[in-house]
Amino acid sequence: MVQETGTELYSGIMRFYNLNDVRKYMKELLERYQRDYDRSSNVIGSLLRAEGGKGMEVIMSKGWAKVGAMFVDSSDPDKGGMELTFQLVTEMKPRISKTEEVLKSFESVESLPIPAEASFLLYLHGGIPERLVIDATEPKPEAFAYKGDYSTIP
Amino acid sequence: MLEVVVLIEDVDAVRLSDKANENENSNYSLNVSLAEKDRSTEHLVLNYSLELTSQPPMARFKVSGSATLSGSKDEVKQAITAPDDTRPPPILVMIYERIYSTIYVLAGALKVPQPLPNLLKKSS
Repeated sequence: MVQETGTELYSGIMRFYNLNDVRKYMKELLERYQRDYDRSSNVIGSLLRAEGGKGMEVIMSKGWAKVGAMFVDSSDPDKGGMELTFQLVTEMKPRISKTEEVLKSFESVESLPIPAEASFLLYLHGGIPERLVIDATEPKPEAFAYKGDYSTIP
Repeated sequence: MLEVVVLIEDVDAVRLSDKANENENSNYSLNVSLAEKDRSTEHLVLNYSLELTSQPPMARFKVSGSATLSGSKDEVKQAITAPDDTRPPPILVMIYERIYSTIYVLAGALKVPQPLPNLLKKSS
């Protein structure tokens, strides 16, 4: 399996022990989405420029047929693949906007009265940070450190 | 299930005696340190440093690097917790097992006794 294009979209809950780390994580997330978006949209843009003047028909395949619960294109792989990339780009836009919006307004979360020892549960849905739990019951565990003297067993 | 990735970042191997012989019996003492480098919900990264010195002193090996533990919070906790005062935390055993082949080859190249692959016990 080889990933052609696209982006990994995590759904789940992540625990952070510092609000700065939440911001940093979301910033890195956004940068990755933007990089992936740019890469995919450049592919579409290059093709449209190369085809000069032609419209969306250069990336819309007419070879789709419904097979079972899926749409399958076996007759026009170039356009079929390009159409998928276009769909991907279209779907990435709102994800980027939403993540940007969360980051821009994150100051309002940071200004909340937050206990010093609190940890944070970030809920991501389809790659979008949607909810945050401020958990004062589970502080950051003490950093693990271990030293010892041993010998090999003769 | 816990996954552990051990990375060797630095190795130092020294032959301490001209009279060293790979066929001689030699026990090795180990000085070990583990320190947390990074932690998230599902992983823990440790810096490790192991120094093995043969007794009598014929060779010394220093190996350091990082170990990344990925798994549930309980699995990670179990891996870094020593079962009792005399036994090492399981992660230390895993690190030693992973770096053992490197030390074995180096000991052969230096013509000094090779340490045993067995689990470790605390020296008295």
